[in-house]
Amino acid sequence: MDFIGMFPLFYFPDIGSAWLMGITGTIHILASHTSVGAALLFAFLAHKAYKENRTDLYDYMKKYGMFLLIFSYVIGSITGPGIWYTATAASPRGISALIHNFVWVWATEWVFFIYEVIGVFALVYFIDKIDRKTHLKLTYTFALASVGTLMLIIGIISFMMWPGNDAFYQTGSASDAFFGVNTFPHMFLRIGFMIMMAGVIGLIISSAMKNKEVSYELTRKMGYVSLLGGFLVLFFFMWYIKTLPESADILLGIYLPSILTTRIILILAFALYFLLAIFKPQYIRRSLAIVMLFVIAVVGLWPGEKLRESLRKPYVAGRYIYSNQIISRDVPGKGIKSEVEVIADRGLLRVNPWIPDRLRTITPENRLEAGQLLTKLACSNCHALEPGAKFRPLMLRFAGQDKETIKAFMQGSLATGAIPYMPRIDLPDAEFDAMAAWIATQIN
Amino acid sequence: MDATLLNTLRDPAGVPFYPVVFQALYVLTWALHAAFVLLAIGSITLSLAGHGKQKQSADWKLLTGHMIQTGKISISLAILLGIAPLLFTQVIYDPNWYVTNALSGIWVFTFIYALIVGYMLFYWFYYANKKGDGKLIGLVSFAFIVFAGVLMHVFSVESIQPNEWMGWYAPGGTVDTSGLSFHMHPVRLLFMVSLSAPVVGIFLQNYSDFLSTRNDFTKEYIAFARSLGTTIASIGLLASAALFVVWMFMEGLLLNPLSLAIVVSVLLLLVMIHFVKRSYLTTLWLVVVALLISGMRELIRFQIMGDLGYSVYDYPMNIDWPSVVMFLLTFVFLGFTGVAFIATLAWRAGKSEGVFDASKDALVSRLANSTFAILIVWCLVYFGWGMFTVFKNSFA
Repeated sequence: MDFIGMFPLFYFPDIGSAWLMGITGTIHILASHTSVGAALLFAFLAHKAYKENRTDLYDYMKKYGMFLLIFSYVIGSITGPGIWYTATAASPRGISALIHNFVWVWATEWVFFIYEVIGVFALVYFIDKIDRKTHLKLTYTFALASVGTLMLIIGIISFMMWPGNDAFYQTGSASDAFFGVNTFPHMFLRIGFMIMMAGVIGLIISSAMKNKEVSYELTRKMGYVSLLGGFLVLFFFMWYIKTLPESADILLGIYLPSILTTRIILILAFALYFLLAIFKPQYIRRSLAIVMLFVIAVVGLWPGEKLRESLRKPYVAGRYIYSNQIISRDVPGKGIKSEVEVIADRGLLRVNPWIPDRLRTITPENRLEAGQLLTKLACSNCHALEPGAKFRPLMLRFAGQDKETIKAFMQGSLATGAIPYMPRIDLPDAEFDAMAAWIATQIN
Repeated sequence: MDATLLNTLRDPAGVPFYPVVFQALYVLTWALHAAFVLLAIGSITLSLAGHGKQKQSADWKLLTGHMIQTGKISISLAILLGIAPLLFTQVIYDPNWYVTNALSGIWVFTFIYALIVGYMLFYWFYYANKKGDGKLIGLVSFAFIVFAGVLMHVFSVESIQPNEWMGWYAPGGTVDTSGLSFHMHPVRLLFMVSLSAPVVGIFLQNYSDFLSTRNDFTKEYIAFARSLGTTIASIGLLASAALFVVWMFMEGLLLNPLSLAIVVSVLLLLVMIHFVKRSYLTTLWLVVVALLISGMRELIRFQIMGDLGYSVYDYPMNIDWPSVVMFLLTFVFLGFTGVAFIATLAWRAGKSEGVFDASKDALVSRLANSTFAILIVWCLVYFGWGMFTVFKNSFA
């Protein structure tokens, strides 16, 4: 019996395993972006402090550095590999594809990361222990190394969206995969966000400083920094969305109207906050600065990352691996073959290696159990299956329909790949029948 | 489970370089990772012990603060160095890695947060200890960190039991997608944990040797640290050796040449901690022992997979020279120069009393300037390469 290389399924009820990855990913982005932004800010402050002999700035840098060491580096360095961990459980073939294409890129990033992590300890602990000129050099190299980690990861996560042309599929080259059409706009968009986050964190520290004169001066500076970062985010976002695949345009058309109002309110609120920091720094209290950090994480970052993850659908990597682990197209450069037709011909229950023998053939006795398992295998990476579940609840989509209508939808749309943001799932009649039968029992 | 299925589970993209290179890198980087995991566990344990004794003893008070600092940095380095073996194992043993993580999905998720909570609490302990408080926080932090370590051990143990995977995933023929699989090998775990005693013991010897050139630490304190290190390392090594023998006996590998080499090298280490005055030499030997143990782990996995017919050396290859060259050049130039810069700076600053003027140190200055130059050149090459590729492919 020939199998395809699918892995066992991990499914987390009500939320869905993919969203566990989203949670870890969002926390990581907050921490890692802040740390790179802070590295740039550090270089700026250290330069100023050294050139103008501003000893008071070193005290700020030390506090800022310690805060970042605990907040950004502890959380960032754990959630970084944490994304790998959760992704391996939730989307094993997606992360495997990235690893097997980009292992040397990741290994290169690791070299940068080594420099960055030992650098951050040196940067913070050596402020008063080494001469300032050498500390300044350390700061410059640290900032460049931090940006280097972004430069290396950005091509990988951009490839998750798509390479943008046919070159990678023909050559299989990591370079063609890495430098796609949205790699650079994506990079500059994130650099903008990093700069903004460095300012947002900086406001927490500056607003708490006891020396009011220095506090207001730094709060103003953080206001300018954040405003510049925010402007860069908006500017490069315009470029970024022009480099997305066609299916993302369709999804953007669906999602954008519902989130547009929130986005506009958020942009205005943060623009006002940054302007307040510039013109009335005395109004920026630590409590407000902390609240604004959480607002940007919960209202800004989480929906933003959800949107990016949604825009990638139905793929998780390189537009050849569906989110449900199935390979959707040939990649001649790597010798990869599409599995969609094999599944259509033989059925998921026969080609998935992790099916107990008693479920490989559908019988009246096991039909509902097989239907549930098939639905989990085919749909659960995007949809929560429980009635009333929060994230993309599958049952809600079929509310009020009977088994035959559900099956007709599957055979008419899913099997033909008619919906561009959903994977083409073409199954034998008996398997669609079992899935429709089980779904019908859940909604009626 | 047989080789046909295991080979089907391999990534269809193949590996971008010779599998044996990934295997060697795995063994090497795992040993480095383990060294810092063990130093973290050892130093945290010692800091907790010291926390209780520091009111009665000035030596313990000083040592406790330094052990907390050691624990803090070691956890960070363990995470950092853990990324590499994590990467390399996924390349050549992807069937093992991905199946295990899917079977234990919920624990995989838990691991991340256990480590975050444990590490954050350790920072809390660090601040609380300055005021003489925080014992409970320290203990809770330790519990979380140990729990994270146990989970990591569970993943390793599960990954080398391919014959059990289907039984865990579909017990009694009913599929279980909850990701709750949790299977331990207590002797193996105890052996690994026991190594934290010799590691921290030898570290204490290094610590006393390092401080011996500074006038702001008393001779009595330096002798205290060294003697404590020797005692902990001696007891730890004996316990580790005994546990290793039991583990190897259970694996049927007691008389394997690698196993015997480990036993002999551990006994030699025991002699060295008592008779070698320059403890840095002992540390070098400890690195060799760590590499041998890492090699043994790989040998066990390699044999299990080999018995099923799976060999990493058969993994199809699609060599990707540009990314290989990028890594090698970055590793050699930035890796060595950059790490040498900070390590030399840290070493010399640590040896100095007061502010260390590194700008007058020719070596440190040269390393700093070289690191900066390498980074600039690296960025220029990156953008040049990237722009060329984007244009080439967009207009092809």
